[in-house]
Amino acid sequence: MRSGPSVIRTLYANELRMVLRDRRTIMMAVVLPVLVMPVMLFASHWTSSRREKTLEETTYSYAVTGSEAGAARSLVDATRARLSTNAGKAPAAFSFREAAVKEPAAALERRGIDFYLDAVPGEEAVRSAERQRAKAKPPSVGGGAAGGATEEIDDSELATPGAPSIRMVFRADRDVSRTGFRKMRDALRGTRDQQRAALLAARGFPVEPAAVAAIVERNVATEGQVAGLTLGRMLTLMLLAFILSGGAAVATDSLAGEKERGTLETLLATAASRVDIVVAKHLVILTVALTITLIQVANFLLYIGFKLIPASAGFSAAVPPQVALLLLVLYLPLAALVSSVLLLTSGHARSYKEAQLYFFPIFLLGMVPALAPFLPGLTLRSAIVLVPVANLSVAVKEILIGAFDWPMIAVSWVVTALAAVWASRLAVRALSTERLTTGAEADEVDAKGGPALFSRHVLRWFAVMWAVVFAVAVNMPADTDIRIQIVINLVVVFFGATVLMIRRYRLDVREVLALRPVKPVVWLAVIAGAPASLFVGVGVFKLASLFVPVPPKMLESFGQALLPSNIPAWQAVALLSILPGIFEEITFRGALLYGLRGRLHPAGVALVVGLVFGLFHVALFRLAPTAALGVMLAAVTMMTGSIFPAMLWHAVNNGLALALAELKYPLAESGAGQQLAALAILAAAFWLVYRNRTPYPGLRPWRRPSSS
Amino acid sequence: MTSPVSVSGLTKIFHDESRGEVRAVDGIDFECKGGEIFGLLGANGAGKTTTLRMLATILLPSGGHATLMGHDVAAEPEAARHSLGFYSASTALYPRLTPRETLDFFARINGFPSDRVNERVTALVARFGLGDYADARVDKLSQGMKQKVSIARTVVHDPPILIFDEPTVGLDVLNAIEMRNVIAEFRAEGKTIIFSTHIMNEAEKLCDRIAIIHRGRIHACDTLAGLREATGHHYLEDIFVYYVEQANGH
Repeated sequence: MRSGPSVIRTLYANELRMVLRDRRTIMMAVVLPVLVMPVMLFASHWTSSRREKTLEETTYSYAVTGSEAGAARSLVDATRARLSTNAGKAPAAFSFREAAVKEPAAALERRGIDFYLDAVPGEEAVRSAERQRAKAKPPSVGGGAAGGATEEIDDSELATPGAPSIRMVFRADRDVSRTGFRKMRDALRGTRDQQRAALLAARGFPVEPAAVAAIVERNVATEGQVAGLTLGRMLTLMLLAFILSGGAAVATDSLAGEKERGTLETLLATAASRVDIVVAKHLVILTVALTITLIQVANFLLYIGFKLIPASAGFSAAVPPQVALLLLVLYLPLAALVSSVLLLTSGHARSYKEAQLYFFPIFLLGMVPALAPFLPGLTLRSAIVLVPVANLSVAVKEILIGAFDWPMIAVSWVVTALAAVWASRLAVRALSTERLTTGAEADEVDAKGGPALFSRHVLRWFAVMWAVVFAVAVNMPADTDIRIQIVINLVVVFFGATVLMIRRYRLDVREVLALRPVKPVVWLAVIAGAPASLFVGVGVFKLASLFVPVPPKMLESFGQALLPSNIPAWQAVALLSILPGIFEEITFRGALLYGLRGRLHPAGVALVVGLVFGLFHVALFRLAPTAALGVMLAAVTMMTGSIFPAMLWHAVNNGLALALAELKYPLAESGAGQQLAALAILAAAFWLVYRNRTPYPGLRPWRRPSSS
Repeated sequence: MTSPVSVSGLTKIFHDESRGEVRAVDGIDFECKGGEIFGLLGANGAGKTTTLRMLATILLPSGGHATLMGHDVAAEPEAARHSLGFYSASTALYPRLTPRETLDFFARINGFPSDRVNERVTALVARFGLGDYADARVDKLSQGMKQKVSIARTVVHDPPILIFDEPTVGLDVLNAIEMRNVIAEFRAEGKTIIFSTHIMNEAEKLCDRIAIIHRGRIHACDTLAGLREATGHHYLEDIFVYYVEQANGH
């Protein structure tokens, strides 16, 4: 029997040789990334500098209308005069030409002019402003005006009866119109300020008016950091696009292509193991993905770092070589994750055409997490750190603006690396099944459905549920009644999905929900263990906050959101203690545990159930304590073979937390002594449960049976 | 000593959305001895290819057992495949490799001692007359040349068992004759050969023993002489029809 590194090496060398001989793949995977990036950089630089030059050289044409046109013209003339002398400095360009048109609005529409000044008496401007206010909605919180039309000079509030008022009308959808308007606006404002200052000085105002409460702008970000923001937002997205397109070309050829040509069957009939074959193929796609990553990082270093391309000022500062190296390390798990996904996708396809069909939605979906850096205000120190790919893209953005949040960067790397390992294991396992390697429509598990298929799909269901819970949490208005949110999560998402799973896979409700009686002594252990677990949870939280510090303010506001004072006590108990005890147990220690029971070692089942449970408590700082509770509840369920102890445990744990909060007991300040005592009680409770265990059916043996 | 190939109760069930459960192979038993050509004769869809794909461990049996050189195909698939050379109309070659690279690659991943790979490849290139084309890409070769490379690929690691699944499908007369001659040569070298076909003439000329397979079951398994004696028919075609009609209840 042949297996192991030497076979993988032979397979890998062979695969790579074939990839290198395929011009189409080389084109997609190497030539395109090498050429496209510099071409894009050149093109963007060329178009922006050309645009700037054009706008600089343009003489903007405008019209003046309205009953106070004379006043507007004299302001323009004064501005022209001011700029041509410009007090000791070089005369500034004032490239405007007034066009004689009868109907300025129509002329603006047909591009006869770039903008016009509509000068009216102050009374009319005041009336117009009042009409506008009556029509407008009440102002929203922090709502700034957006859109082109509202960019016109809006001093209507200041319009004074007896003084002329100038309204500037332009089109924001035309570069020339918008730029001309802005230049004219700034120039006119400058002149107006000067005239105002002269008037005040004439009336004896002692200082320059602008010097009163002078506002000085100071941008403390370096040019490199500003440029880094733009680059950081784009970098992961672009890299992902290249890895996906280049990797897809190789992945398609590697599995779907082999199936279509019939060479996969030849390979499968050799002494090489399926795992070796998949690993070698995976390594080839990874090699291509890494090559693309290297090429991109090298592109930035070469073209921008060494100024081979005149990129915008500051770009070179954003990527010093050590940062480039850090980016390379960060992108390693990204490349691995993408290659696993591509391999898996290619394995599902029976032909080239089918693989290409699958890749399109994968491309679109794959790019979504890389858009995270475009979300305003999103930092790495948030739940995003747990989303593979999205976390790295946000980390890269922060690194490029000079913010190095090392613990969070490490967490991002580990999370994406774990996702890559998981996807890779999934690919190896999936591709070892005959359904994918032989292209048969479905294997026995698929066709039969039922519990075996449920086990295969259970994590997918929870991934979708997580996405729904996350989307609900993000999109729900901040002032939504907490009761509604809890009921939606517990009843609609958790319970609804569990019912759907049971129906879809025709599962036995008693089996899935582990509705079995337990020995009476177990209840004693639960009553002792549940309060102890609460204190141990606090200890876990404190330990975790050594790595991820949580601002006390955040905790406080979270506590208030979770337990608003206006909710009657009985409702708080029902919503935060009893309902979670029932519905979260049905979902996590019921459906999830049942789905995972035979797939992993019992310790693995408890850990995964706990971790998934923790992940559903969206806030990052709740992950560790809730995951710890989840592990304990899973362990109790597996040892008793019943869900009821976990239900009581969960309800008591939450109920006690609620009661202590109501009594203002400083739970978070409990000392190490209390926590150690709690740990001892917890251990005793588990010992009691273990001694009286009636194990959950269908679990893997704790120890592998020794083979004779 | 156990037979090189031993099959008992081998079953394969597919689940088809429209037809439901399909028993493509339904509890078959047979054994093959060293140095014999064992023929699986059946119409298209009889279960020949499914049986051979289970022996090659490409498909997992739904029931029963099969061993190659004592290795169970389900429990020790890699060890079973190590003893096997598998050739079928659907086992294609890598178009972007040369015949020499192809042979080198398949020798190595099948565990042929690496210090003897070059020698083995050179010998096979000479035996199958690939000399002038040994370093040209496979996709540039003629159909006949590709067939030779494929056969050389099948035996490059010198396995004791060879499976030929309808090897002459799509070949012209001369290439088909050459294929049969090569298979006969392998028998002379002591290999155990399983040969599936639906062409009566081929089975008559080549096989030492013939199993008639229909709807996933073996209805007869004997030498040609034995089959003639059992049925009273001389031609294999008549013998085949006799068993098929019997199976269909006529």
